[in-house]
Amino acid sequence: MGFLRKYAPKYWKLFGAAIVFLVVESVCDLLQPTVMAQIIDIGVANRDLQVVLNLGALMLLITAIGAVCAVGRNILSSHVAHGVGADLRLDLFTKVQRLSLDGLSQFETASLITRLTNDVTQVQHFVYRLMRLFLRAPILGLGAAAMAIYLSPKMSTVLVVVLPAAALLVALNLRTAYPYFLRVQQAVDRVNQALREYLAGVRVVKAFNRAAYERNRFEEVNQDVSTAHVQAERVMAFFRPAIILSVNLGIAAVLWFGGLSARAGTMEIGKIIAFVNYLTQMLHAIMRIFFAFSIFIRARASAERITEVFEQEDPTPQVADGYKASLKGDISFYNVSFAYAGSTGEPILKDISFTCRPGETLGVIGSTGSGKSTLVNLIPRLYEPTAGRITIDGVDVTEWDPGHLRDQIGYVPQKSLLFTGTILDNIRWGRAGASLEEVRAAARVAQIDDFVMSLADGYDSLVGQGGVNLSGGQKQRLSIARALVKKPTVLILDDSTSALDAITEAELRSELFEFVEGVTCIIVSQRVTSIMNADKILVLDEGKIAGLGTHEELLRKCRVYQDIYYSQIGREEAV
Amino acid sequence: MSPKGRKDTPVPVMRRGFRSREMPVEKAKDVRNTVRRLWLYFGGQRWALASLAVLVVLGSLVGLTIPYLIGRAVDTIEALNGGLRPLSVVVFVLLIAYLVEALTSFGQNYVMAGVSQHVVLVLRRSVFAKLQTLPLSFFDQHTHGEIMSRIANDLDNVSSTVAQSAVHLMASLLTLGGSFIMMVMLSPALTVASLVTTPLVYAAGRAVTTQTRRLYRSQQAALGKLNGHVEEMVSGLLEVKAFNREKEAVESFAEINRALQDVGIRADIWSGFLMPIMNVISNLGFTAVAAVGGVLAVKGLITVGVIASFLSYSRQFVRPLNEVASIYNGLQSALASAERVFEIIDEEEEPGDEECAIELVNPSGEITFKDVSFAYIDRKTVLHDVSFHVPAGSSLAIVGATGSGKTTIINLLTRYYDVQQGQILVDGLDIRSYTKTSLRKNLGVVLQDTYLFAGTIADNIRYGRLDASIEEVVQAAKLARADGFIRRLPKGYDTELSESGSSLSHGQRQLLAIARAILADPSILILDEATSSVDTRTELGIQEALRALMKGRTSIIVAHRLSTIRDADQILLLDQGRVVEVGTHQELLAKQGAYYRLYTSQFSEVG
Repeated sequence: MGFLRKYAPKYWKLFGAAIVFLVVESVCDLLQPTVMAQIIDIGVANRDLQVVLNLGALMLLITAIGAVCAVGRNILSSHVAHGVGADLRLDLFTKVQRLSLDGLSQFETASLITRLTNDVTQVQHFVYRLMRLFLRAPILGLGAAAMAIYLSPKMSTVLVVVLPAAALLVALNLRTAYPYFLRVQQAVDRVNQALREYLAGVRVVKAFNRAAYERNRFEEVNQDVSTAHVQAERVMAFFRPAIILSVNLGIAAVLWFGGLSARAGTMEIGKIIAFVNYLTQMLHAIMRIFFAFSIFIRARASAERITEVFEQEDPTPQVADGYKASLKGDISFYNVSFAYAGSTGEPILKDISFTCRPGETLGVIGSTGSGKSTLVNLIPRLYEPTAGRITIDGVDVTEWDPGHLRDQIGYVPQKSLLFTGTILDNIRWGRAGASLEEVRAAARVAQIDDFVMSLADGYDSLVGQGGVNLSGGQKQRLSIARALVKKPTVLILDDSTSALDAITEAELRSELFEFVEGVTCIIVSQRVTSIMNADKILVLDEGKIAGLGTHEELLRKCRVYQDIYYSQIGREEAV
Repeated sequence: MSPKGRKDTPVPVMRRGFRSREMPVEKAKDVRNTVRRLWLYFGGQRWALASLAVLVVLGSLVGLTIPYLIGRAVDTIEALNGGLRPLSVVVFVLLIAYLVEALTSFGQNYVMAGVSQHVVLVLRRSVFAKLQTLPLSFFDQHTHGEIMSRIANDLDNVSSTVAQSAVHLMASLLTLGGSFIMMVMLSPALTVASLVTTPLVYAAGRAVTTQTRRLYRSQQAALGKLNGHVEEMVSGLLEVKAFNREKEAVESFAEINRALQDVGIRADIWSGFLMPIMNVISNLGFTAVAAVGGVLAVKGLITVGVIASFLSYSRQFVRPLNEVASIYNGLQSALASAERVFEIIDEEEEPGDEECAIELVNPSGEITFKDVSFAYIDRKTVLHDVSFHVPAGSSLAIVGATGSGKTTIINLLTRYYDVQQGQILVDGLDIRSYTKTSLRKNLGVVLQDTYLFAGTIADNIRYGRLDASIEEVVQAAKLARADGFIRRLPKGYDTELSESGSSLSHGQRQLLAIARAILADPSILILDEATSSVDTRTELGIQEALRALMKGRTSIIVAHRLSTIRDADQILLLDQGRVVEVGTHQELLAKQGAYYRLYTSQFSEVG
């Protein structure tokens, strides 16, 4: 949990004050049995009511002081814990936002979300409990032991046997139980995975009549998780009573030896009762430490997962004063290669060089996995090339201020993601200040204005999370509108019309070319018709450039392009 | 977890009958019914439950005698002249009591682990089995997250709480009652003295918990908001970056985060009041008992040992009083969870087969749609009077704009949904007169969203026919043009796929899905946009394979690319749920109608 150290300077004063409160609180707790013993030994045993009342008042005072300190300690520790939690969460979120996409791909989205929410909460919980359990329990336990020894050094020999025995049991329990709980966690993960798979594939399961098969597959993980749970709980079922018993045996021993001492006249009854009380306090302390460890184990697992994110290297160092200028749209690649971090296989892009002049349209085509998306992702610097150089307006892309650069590039990703909010909000995500007219103009080009206006609430219609209430084609068109409303100088369309039918796509294309006049336009597509009018077409094949030129040129001399073309258009039409 | 790749059927955001999980302490709507149903699941565990009850009663009783025994020990010590024997007897009995307490505690937890996990095992099994019988509309209406949360979180809540709470509640009540009886038996006067503080305990507990409950609820709401924001901003990181929104994303996060922090601090401060207040009150009670006890002892009415044991009982009496309240809350939320699980179990099932449904065996594959109309629940009609006929062994291509109802036709043919008007016939009989199993067995479906599960590539292809040999698997993969890339993988067919096959490209996943359908060897082939993500060269290869496969089979293909469908025997053009044109490619071109316009718009540039 090294990352917590960072927050120490901010919170150590509060934390220190909380510890002061805690110590006073614990001392009060420890004094209580002694006063109680005196009430019985002096007051009750001597039948002196005044002493009972006086000591009673003293005890109440002590309790009240203890209570005030407890409340104070709690107020401070809540501030510390939630403060640390909030700071940590914000830092982690900022870190995630700053991760490169390559870094992000090291984590599953769902797992990142858990890290940001659950795991941080676990750590926060740990910080909160740190004082109540980790510090208070040992103080109380040791204090109780000290008071017991002070009360009767002779009887304290019982402690020498009882405490190590209890400690040993706690240690043994932690060692035995931890692997069991680990197994439970793994089994739970497998159940969740099986469920997720089923939900994702429910259509296929039904299509192939595989209900029984799926049931059997699920039953396996179901049994596993059940068995793991039972085993873990049964291990715990043994240790808890065993620890309590070990201390209780101590109490019996105290009564026995105390009785002997009392007989010999060397011990008062009140002291025996007090001694028993201190033993009980020690037992509570041990149980709390025991409980604290289970919180610690959980927090440690969470902390490890958080650390993993923090340790993810940040390959896009934010240049303090990056290059800022209005974009003209001159893009050049010089011998660019790219491989995903941690991937052992072949690079995705190999030795790519091309130039795209301002106002030109570049089409990118190639088979699945040929590196088309990766190529365009490099332009707004969503990824960093592993080798080679990319310049925009003659300036190396790494020298540009990334924010400034991206503000002038309209980018429509392959999988368009929309956000919770209205349709208007979603299009304005492209440019916050856009007027409704500008939004509608962009929507009209994207062929989505009619659809939006047909909705009851028009542009104020709500989009569900991830755009669940829209079809794939509608989402694509909205995300095109979102990019257009930026009035970008460079427009990148990454296969973003795949869910549109041919007519809609054709209309979109013709209006788009009017709208984006003077804009450098890079269109990635699988359809020849989407790109064959481009000024230049780049044909990618297994990460390498297989051809670069106009449609006619490529059709004459590029094998790969010919294959693609004929497979789509058919030979007879083309001839 | 957004539902993946649906194109034709936009899914409305609907949460029918599902409430959010945001409230920490929720109550079941119908407690009695939920308890009764839950009890049925415990039914098979009678012996375990009986022994559990015995153990709880025994443990509580023994627990109750321990303070008494300590008091007796104190008394025997005080009566010095009694010799060692009485003390040794008491201490011996105490030892036994401790041992029995430990053993019953172990026994309780041991048995309980078995019982509660068994119940959860059975519940989980029945929920999953239920999922298999639910109609597709259920999955379209609820997000995966919601369903997951019920099966994972809610069931977990049931497992960890119901049995434990019930046992604790029982033990607490026993201790409560027993302590009271012991107190009255020891000294009625002291009982009155100690009960003076009980209303205070209750009042203080109530005052604090009403505050904390309210605050924890708003904390939960704030957390929900934060989770939502995180989920969007993390899944949409590409957009956030491309649109240069990092700063705004962090700012709005900081705002929500701050609100969460504030409410969290307040909630924890309030809940922190409880323990110290209880301590003061309980010590107040202690002093009262000691004072009254002192008076009584002065008068010689009770012994010191009685006071000692009485003090223990009065502690035991106050503690469960607090516990009962919190256990009760826990039980309530567990019951609410159980109810949510039962809600799934109660969902209406996919309608079963007609009573005299017959098996569809080796159909010729003739398909007829007769005036079929269909609307998804609460939405406007998607198909209007759709009629067409596909002769056995021929192919039909469905073409149309986004949202024209192409996918719906497939949803109806596979009986994912049932027609509301009109009829669908296969081999001259209404498809509802066949068993669903036999109908689907004869339909080879390759869908847009390819479903691959964790397992090897061979396993995934074999999903089409479970008893296929490895040679048949390879053969199918070859036909689907998947063999090449599979062999290039380090472990070939034994390559383990991660969840949802994310280690493969989308196109490769589709090739596997096609191989799977080929292996199933169906009489009717349905391809829904199946090749949209395969590059056209690969598609060309697949088409060759499919053409061979389609020979002698009826096939229905939904595709956007005209080159894919040009070879079809018939082309059906859909527009907003209505059939606009039907015919062969040449016929429709000659007609110069809607299809012609569609066709020329795609190829006008060719000139």
